[in-house]
Amino acid sequence: MTSPPAAAPHAFQPRLLAALLDASKATAVAFGLFVVMVGLRTDVGPTGALFLRTRWPDVAWLCAAVFVARLAMALWAGRRLPAVGSARRAAALSRAGLFFGPALLAIALILPFVPGIGRYELDLGILVLTYVMLGWGLNIVVGLAGLLDLGYVAFYAVGAYSYALLAQYFGLSFWICLPLAGILAAFWGVLLGFPVLRLRGDYLAIVTLAFGEIIRIVLLNWVELTGGPNGISGIPRPTFFGLPFSMSGGPGTFAGFFGLEPSPSHRVIFLYYLILALALLTNWVAIRIRRQPIGRAWEALREDEIACRALGINITNTKLTAFALGAMFAGFAGAFFATRQAFISPESFTFIESAIILAIVVLGGLGSQIGIAVAAIIMIGGFELFRDLEEYRMLVFGAAMVTIMVLRPRGLVGSRAPSVVLGAQRRIDAQHVSEGRG
Amino acid sequence: MSTEILRVEALSMRFGGLLAVDAVDFEVQRGSITALIGPNGAGKTTVFNCITGFYRPTGGQISLRRADGSVASLHRLKDHRIARAGVARTFQNIRLFAGMTVLENLLIAQHLKLQKATWHGIGAMLGFPAYRAAEAEAINRAVEWLRATDLLDRADDAAGGLPYGAQRRLEIARAMCMTPALLCLDEPAAGLNPRESDDLAKLLVSIRDGTATRSDPTSILLIEHDMGIVMRISDHIVVLDHGKKIAEGPPDLIRSDRHVIAAYLGEDEDAA
Repeated sequence: MTSPPAAAPHAFQPRLLAALLDASKATAVAFGLFVVMVGLRTDVGPTGALFLRTRWPDVAWLCAAVFVARLAMALWAGRRLPAVGSARRAAALSRAGLFFGPALLAIALILPFVPGIGRYELDLGILVLTYVMLGWGLNIVVGLAGLLDLGYVAFYAVGAYSYALLAQYFGLSFWICLPLAGILAAFWGVLLGFPVLRLRGDYLAIVTLAFGEIIRIVLLNWVELTGGPNGISGIPRPTFFGLPFSMSGGPGTFAGFFGLEPSPSHRVIFLYYLILALALLTNWVAIRIRRQPIGRAWEALREDEIACRALGINITNTKLTAFALGAMFAGFAGAFFATRQAFISPESFTFIESAIILAIVVLGGLGSQIGIAVAAIIMIGGFELFRDLEEYRMLVFGAAMVTIMVLRPRGLVGSRAPSVVLGAQRRIDAQHVSEGRG
Repeated sequence: MSTEILRVEALSMRFGGLLAVDAVDFEVQRGSITALIGPNGAGKTTVFNCITGFYRPTGGQISLRRADGSVASLHRLKDHRIARAGVARTFQNIRLFAGMTVLENLLIAQHLKLQKATWHGIGAMLGFPAYRAAEAEAINRAVEWLRATDLLDRADDAAGGLPYGAQRRLEIARAMCMTPALLCLDEPAAGLNPRESDDLAKLLVSIRDGTATRSDPTSILLIEHDMGIVMRISDHIVVLDHGKKIAEGPPDLIRSDRHVIAAYLGEDEDAA
């Protein structure tokens, strides 16, 4: 029964009832999930045999938490605020965004010299920046051209193995292999691009997914060349333009040349700045190319492919350039990954990597550079932050992703900045921007 | 002005067992507005899609004679090549790049010219002056057409956020930014109110005469259901029914043609 708004005190009762019902339902679902996921646990006993341990109190606590949270949410949502001032808020946000990017960049630049930043933090920074770079690379394919690529990690693998194999078999240095890895990955991008160009949407996604798996399985089984599951170890570490980072401190080393005390942190700092430079290169290219005819053609392709054809744009070439360029940056990142780890194996290039990179692009907002950087920090850095939570880490991670998608369904930055304007720069609301159908 | 710009000869299009277009011949004269009319399902849009390369015709020839005298055989070309040969089109259900601004829409229409100026992307990447000049020229051209279509104050708005009539005009402006030899319009007046239709008619006449901007006169091929507009602005009318051409001529002749009246009013063969 619905009561008129004037009778507010009477209307409270049914709302509370509805909220209670809703919370009970949510709790029932949570109970069903947690009984298996949390309540039952297999542990290794003293004799080495597995035994089942039950944790019912934990389940009870979690269910109670879900009930309270859902009840609070239902009651809160009942007095939903009108969406006035959202345009003004968006304007304020975009103004803040003007400073946010440079501030983030400044922090990234001085990070190795901030007191309290040790080896662990820098390693994490390198990891985050690798994903930022991969996100920006994939953004060209998914965000700009609207081609859903689920096998992006294949190009990352091509880059990594290109460097590892070229260094192992031909003794080429990192600085020669870096461009070669990019070119080879771009070549594979074109090779993949040709057969899949006529596919759209789901079909394209499936084929790229398969391509990613094919590359990984080939690497796994071609034992003579790639070492198969054993991977490739002893990959040469990068040199500072010819000066190795050696602990000996001799005249031919980095520390000796600059007269510094030899320290293992030199290499980490160098790697950090290397990936930062590579990521910024990706960013620069992506930003510049968006304002070019080819970048606009990519976005036009995402918006309406048929109209593009009517305007004389060669769809095939346009899609291929997007694939090749995106793949090239993955190749760069792959070569960097190989030199940083000094060991690679097909283990590192599973589908989950593609999924994480795609999640970063989607959470950040398709086509948005800054959004992707923030999403990578949240996804990769945040994941490390919750390391203490052990097995609940994935749960927190999943909840964080769901929260972002509920609050900002089009990613952290959903609006689109025009590539050219006559008057003042104004962002385009997400409701007009297409996500692309492949 | 007696030369033809487009010649369609014995054009046929078959979809499985259905012969949608059956040996249709017609010509579009240079500097004219030619209308293609007929009842629903007569095959107008099919003819249109054959000319613009979205379908490959089953039989017949379509040739475009450009201003410099060269002839392009459109029935052999792929769609984006046809656009490059000088045929621009609009769509019955508007196809704009909704998430991009009005100005961006018009710049994409000039993609080929701009892409040439980028030197395979490298020149533009590094900001070479040749590319900047080309882009400035493209923006100028876009602004001219925005002025001609009365959209200048909406230049930085998302195309998807424009009112319906403005979207129709933008689609025409976008096609004209390609500097086409022939402009093909698929029901440009659909969904417009009488006042907007009136403005559209004036715009089309000014495009034909080359007075809309500083551009050359452009021939127009038009599909339209609004007979008021068709009769007012067309120089030549081609009437299709059931995939066949049933009449052709200036508006006055078509108005009184008994085959046309029969086709539109649905009279039986023997009654007509």
